[in-house]
Amino acid sequence: MNVLFLEIGLRIAGLILLGLVLANFVAAKRLRYAHNLAGSATMVRQIFYVHCAYIIAIISALALLCLGWPQLLHEEKMGRIVSGFFGLFWASRVIVQLTYYDKGVRRQERAWDVFFLAIFALLSTVFTLAAIPQ
Amino acid sequence: MKELLQIGLLLGGYSLVALCIASFWIPKVLRWREKLAKLTPLMRELWWTYSIYVWSSHVFFAVLSLGFGDWLMGGSGSAMAMCTFMLLWWLVRLYLQFFGFDLSEVEPSITNRLAKHLLTLLFLCLVILYASLLSWNAGWLPGGGLP
Repeated sequence: MNVLFLEIGLRIAGLILLGLVLANFVAAKRLRYAHNLAGSATMVRQIFYVHCAYIIAIISALALLCLGWPQLLHEEKMGRIVSGFFGLFWASRVIVQLTYYDKGVRRQERAWDVFFLAIFALLSTVFTLAAIPQ
Repeated sequence: MKELLQIGLLLGGYSLVALCIASFWIPKVLRWREKLAKLTPLMRELWWTYSIYVWSSHVFFAVLSLGFGDWLMGGSGSAMAMCTFMLLWWLVRLYLQFFGFDLSEVEPSITNRLAKHLLTLLFLCLVILYASLLSWNAGWLPGGGLP
């Protein structure tokens, strides 16, 4: 694949990832995390927020890498290993969406469901392509 | 110094493997199933999704440390970026260990206390390891930097 196209793809992926970071904050409000976690044990609430924050940290770091240094993700073996990991990461997110999340909620929010499935599939494709030696 | 870091990477990698295996006991020890029963289905699904992705990141760090140590010490930009990210990851986790979690609801048995201290030690060692690797890649340690 043309390196220029790949780097454009990675930069677009970076923008999408920034959007996902913001979407996490919107989701916290829309899905009423604070309200839904209010009755749970302190430890459950803390672990939920810690895991959520770490996921946002991973996505933010990847967005930074894609937007600032896309060449690092495909030029050498180390970068391709990282890209391969994120290819799997986003592909598994598609599977999680299709097989694990509540079908009723997905049906209610069909437009968002399809939108995010497309986003995750696109991200998986870009990172998998970056993992393949040029 | 290089040999020392290579040994550190091996030890760090195997410790991460141990952490990933031990993680299967955490839901039982902290009685997640019982505590998560109070949540709505969507929050429960989000919980497990986040947990599995964090766990898979630990698996990836273990694979990198054990299988790709040469690249992690290669002095390249991507090696520095990866080491910086892992350093920040474990630094935040170490901070949370002391100031973030309220562990009062965890039964203070000898096993639990030992596990807590071992985890703290592991996080501290991982911070030292990845800080050393970052310094090596940046050329701040003798013999480090780009070859």
